[in-house]
Amino acid sequence: MNQKKILPPLVCGFGAAVLTTVPGIKNIGCCLIVPLASVLSIFLDHKINKTDLPINAKSAIWFGIMTGLFATFFQTFFDLLMTYILHSNDFVQALPQTEAVIRHYKLNALLDQTMSMLRQMSNDITNYGFSAFYAFGILFSNLIVNSIFGLLGGLLGMTFINKRTQI
Amino acid sequence: MNNKNFSKAKLILRFVLFLLILVWCLGIISNVLISNQAVSAITNPILKKFYGTVCHQIDAKTFSINGHKFFVCARCTGIYLGALIFSTISLFYYPKINLNRKLFYLALSPMALDVLFAWIGLYNYIKFLAFGTGIFFGSIVFIYILAALENYFITRNV
Repeated sequence: MNQKKILPPLVCGFGAAVLTTVPGIKNIGCCLIVPLASVLSIFLDHKINKTDLPINAKSAIWFGIMTGLFATFFQTFFDLLMTYILHSNDFVQALPQTEAVIRHYKLNALLDQTMSMLRQMSNDITNYGFSAFYAFGILFSNLIVNSIFGLLGGLLGMTFINKRTQI
Repeated sequence: MNNKNFSKAKLILRFVLFLLILVWCLGIISNVLISNQAVSAITNPILKKFYGTVCHQIDAKTFSINGHKFFVCARCTGIYLGALIFSTISLFYYPKINLNRKLFYLALSPMALDVLFAWIGLYNYIKFLAFGTGIFFGSIVFIYILAALENYFITRNV
């Protein structure tokens, strides 16, 4: 595979993951970090290849999704690393509050099972710093969201870079 | 592809986009919509984590209805609502627009200035201002993305 096609999404995906992990930056960038990283990765590809040709949608989608995937990989890695170091995260901290609310209600079997799974996840994180179920959940969630936002960023970047598109 | 099929394909694409954005927006306010508090208490941490991927979710910057917080901040709510409004409009009416960088900058600048001014402390964060600038940005960005999708999925087959 052409290394030039991988490098811009890798760099931008890593950058996006770092920015979403740093407290404060996420407050400013919010939901625009991954899409902007995709736009930047298309810009970088243009610079690397020194071309003035318009970008086609296929390339834009490729760069967008790849940036999202790399962002997902690094974001999940940072999240799991922090969880492993601290043996806690926002999910573990929020669970007692959830349990307090739930104690007031009689749960059916399905909700009870879900609750015990969440409790198990929390216990694993507190005891070992890692929960496979949590890791899978967060990877899956990041994968869906970042891929979509990366793709949208790629399409946005294409329209933006190609300057004029009449619809 | 003849004109009739072309219009039909466009409409299907726009409808699919509308549905996706609608589901996303309903997810944001699901905390308000789910009346069963036990279900809500369990789904809350999961959805909060899910939407947390793309938003800081700071309580002070988030809308709430009857004490139930949205899962994204006011600015993000505006962006997605703007996209939803324009996706609804695009099902019935769509003007020919020349998309260029100026329009994008025009949409981005109020939001960027609001972020900058609140960040440097010129004024405190105003939810409704963030929401308003978000709506404007989200609606314009939706037009760009729709243009790109239609160019890719439909126009190339003509």
